[in-house]
Amino acid sequence: MSYTQRETPILAELCTFLVEDMYGELAARVFSVLARFGRQRRVEISKASYLSSSQISLGLVILTQQHLVFHSPSTEATVFYDIDWQQSYALVRHAKIAHFVEERFNKKSANVISNLLTLGHTSLADLRDAYFQPSQQEEGAVNGKKPNGIKANGDTTINGQTSLVNGTEHDDHDDETLASPEELYGIIQTLMEHGWVIQVAEAQYLSAEDMHNIARQQALNDQWGGSVPTGTKDKDRLAQLIMANKRRTRDAWLEVPNFSSRKRKANESDYGSSKRTKLNGEGQYGSAGSYHHSPEDDLVIRVNPEKAAVAMRNEYLVSLVEQRISYTTARVYEILLRSLEKNIPRCFEEHPDPPPANIEDQPQWEPNPDHVVNTKDIAQRAKILGLDICNGLDPAAVARVTKTTSNDKGVLAQPVDHSSLSFHERSEIVEAHLRLLVDHPLHFVNWHARGQYRVDFDLMAKSLIQQEIENTVLARKSTVAMKLLRALKKKGKLDERQLCNTMMASANDIRGIVNDLTVQGFVQTQEIPKVDRREAKLSLHLIWYDMQRAREKLLHDTYKGQVRILQRIAFEREKIQELLTKANRTDVAGNETKYLKQTELDDLKKWKEVQEKLLLQLARQDDLVAVLRDYCGPLLTA
Amino acid sequence: MGSRADMLYEECAKRPEGTTFFQRDLTGMHIARDLNELLNLVGDLSNRHLLKPLQFEGEPCWKLRPKDIAEKLRRLVPDERLLYQHIDNAHTEGVWSKALRAKTNLAQPTVTKYLKSLESKDLIQAVMSVKTPNRKMYLLKHLKPSEDVAGGPWQNEGDFDSALIEVAAKVVANKVEHDTCIRVSAGWNNYTSSDRQAAIAHKKAQVKGVPDIEDALPVQPYHPPTDSGASRLVHRSNPGYPTTITLAKYLNETGLLRGKTVRESDMEQLLEMLVLEGTLENVSASTYRTVIPPTNQKFNGFVDAPCGNCPVFDLCSDEGPITARTCAYFAEWLETTSEEP
Repeated sequence: MSYTQRETPILAELCTFLVEDMYGELAARVFSVLARFGRQRRVEISKASYLSSSQISLGLVILTQQHLVFHSPSTEATVFYDIDWQQSYALVRHAKIAHFVEERFNKKSANVISNLLTLGHTSLADLRDAYFQPSQQEEGAVNGKKPNGIKANGDTTINGQTSLVNGTEHDDHDDETLASPEELYGIIQTLMEHGWVIQVAEAQYLSAEDMHNIARQQALNDQWGGSVPTGTKDKDRLAQLIMANKRRTRDAWLEVPNFSSRKRKANESDYGSSKRTKLNGEGQYGSAGSYHHSPEDDLVIRVNPEKAAVAMRNEYLVSLVEQRISYTTARVYEILLRSLEKNIPRCFEEHPDPPPANIEDQPQWEPNPDHVVNTKDIAQRAKILGLDICNGLDPAAVARVTKTTSNDKGVLAQPVDHSSLSFHERSEIVEAHLRLLVDHPLHFVNWHARGQYRVDFDLMAKSLIQQEIENTVLARKSTVAMKLLRALKKKGKLDERQLCNTMMASANDIRGIVNDLTVQGFVQTQEIPKVDRREAKLSLHLIWYDMQRAREKLLHDTYKGQVRILQRIAFEREKIQELLTKANRTDVAGNETKYLKQTELDDLKKWKEVQEKLLLQLARQDDLVAVLRDYCGPLLTA
Repeated sequence: MGSRADMLYEECAKRPEGTTFFQRDLTGMHIARDLNELLNLVGDLSNRHLLKPLQFEGEPCWKLRPKDIAEKLRRLVPDERLLYQHIDNAHTEGVWSKALRAKTNLAQPTVTKYLKSLESKDLIQAVMSVKTPNRKMYLLKHLKPSEDVAGGPWQNEGDFDSALIEVAAKVVANKVEHDTCIRVSAGWNNYTSSDRQAAIAHKKAQVKGVPDIEDALPVQPYHPPTDSGASRLVHRSNPGYPTTITLAKYLNETGLLRGKTVRESDMEQLLEMLVLEGTLENVSASTYRTVIPPTNQKFNGFVDAPCGNCPVFDLCSDEGPITARTCAYFAEWLETTSEEP
């Protein structure tokens, strides 16, 4: 048995680590059984795990609450459990999601979203009660004095996200503290409108297979009265309907209910809530500011797992532009991408219509009208942000717009203050930045119509994967290795002589590199015998590069790298476990300088640095995972 | 007679090298008194190998041979001479030894022997063919092998001349950079931030008495010192992009390649290589521009951590001699200690 087969699949190991770190050992035990044996019933879990029935229940409850497992539809007699790998891996992104939300909205929203992340899913009423305890009469007392209802489920070290809900020590004017339930509802509504928060539905617990079966059954019932059609045309039609059903189910989660409460005064309730207020007793009418139950209290919500990838993609693109073009252009691009973000619930369509049988019917690739922006809007926004948009451009272009001149060193005859530009000039300069983005080989944006530009994410995604593979090779080996990869990418399968010609290097220089890259799994070699005997001299030796293979290999390696980082964190922690226990004692915590020796303080500081460094690297590896995995579906190899 | 023949030879030698002489040219020199004598003279010179008989569209014509080569040729044995003629006919393309054997019907050892002797007499040369790397091609000593045999300007003795390529690439890259980019010095736009808006807002506030939210000057964002005094390379806004043809012309004009000329296809090969290398990028199919080097080269989270560059990454596992606990690279990177394996 080769060593690669002996190891546990790396993603399972990684996710088990993450679950253990976040939700403790019990959940991780149940999780690892599922990870090892795949889809199974409770009985089988209990056989494989040596856990008692109640322990398994508890573990499954945690996993279910966090959406880490799928289970078969409740209509069926036996319930099968299976792991939701996507969601399990997403544990590593919790801190990122909170960070994104804080950047896009504010600290309060970030607070709400990180609570939602910790809770997995929750009904709106429960969330409200956690923030504003219902028994309390005076609103003013809510944030200030009493401890909040929600507790952290476990260790949050992975994400470094600090605790929950409104801290008890904050005063009312803290910008992290919610003032009223209305505000909370407002935040939730905004987050839902932007697609960060979605409704929970039972279908979210269906594994891909169950989901497919249900969608198929539904299509059969609708169109063919439950019987399976026979003709080829009907079969194609069925495949299409199944996908359409899946899309419909999924898109329903994104719907934002009409938040009636938001602008409603307490005593102007509509019929839905007046019923409830009656049940709650008349007394509530009197107390000013007390909260009424509203119809959306039953709404169960969770964080949209796909939205994080959208934000990550945008961040990644912006940082790429900053590296490749310029800081200012990157900021312009950021404004552009942010303005699109609201309309993009996910990075790629997971359930596209199946491709038509014959190639000619293949629909032409069509630009997505949702991904179009106006130059003027960007110019406006850049002004609000006070961005010096003249930077990063060819001075001649700036001079042309502002009717001045520049010399050959680019120094303007008349300096231009960006804040005094007219609206028209501003738009022209933004346009110049956009042209830089259009001209770049990656085509960060494309020209759409006059004054309008479009981002073609799908087309870019593949280049981004290629980009990261090249980056990896470049960092590991040399420019020559990267050149080789690009040559193969451009030309396809080559023999050694053709490869030499393309790279303009001698065979001796590239032979070693081809070997190394083959061993690392980035390029493949192939031998085609020309005669019956398989003789090396009489065979063609081809070298080729398959992006999908390289992508999978790099993804696998990155997962492995992440596992090693988590293991290293555990090891580093273990080394100073004793000291950490001491520092966490209630009498010591907060008075470290008083009770701990200088060497101990130094060790503690060192541990924090080490942990920070490792966690940062973990997050950066996650960025790579996102590029490789989340921005486009599997690449078909010809 | 002899002196007359020599006179004819001298007269022909006055013409530019490589001239082909037809009968009318030779009579025009007025050395032979009549046609018979001219034929004798030419016959004499041909026998002494000083004239090389040729045919052009069925008409006989001759070319001059240098005296020293003619001297050597006179001393050859017939088989050698036969080989020489065949090699001569192949011109700059050269001829493969096996093809020679087929043409001359000589035995292999004889061919090998005479080829060697011709080589030692400095009459022919052997060149490795680029197209078929294991074939020796023979051609006359004073000829330069054709591109098919010796490869383009980038190749030397059947292999790529990496030093030459490097220099040429640098020159071309510089030219492209000059054409498509502009180096902007740090203080290109030295406006004194007059804060006109702030002044207006301030004035308005004074007049109105109440500050308007709309007028409030936004907080200036933090600007990382990317420009910190250094000049930056920026793409020109409307450059005339260089093409394969203009660059080939430019490189030939520099005279850098000493006698070799770069054709369009050669330049295309070089430019394509530079695109693969990441120095240039395509704007359209045949126009190029410089790639702006990244301000701070970051790779990715994987290769920046020790695992991405680890030589024993594939051997690393959860237990055994190589694990995350015993890793020397982690220890070095984090400045901590690892477990002894």
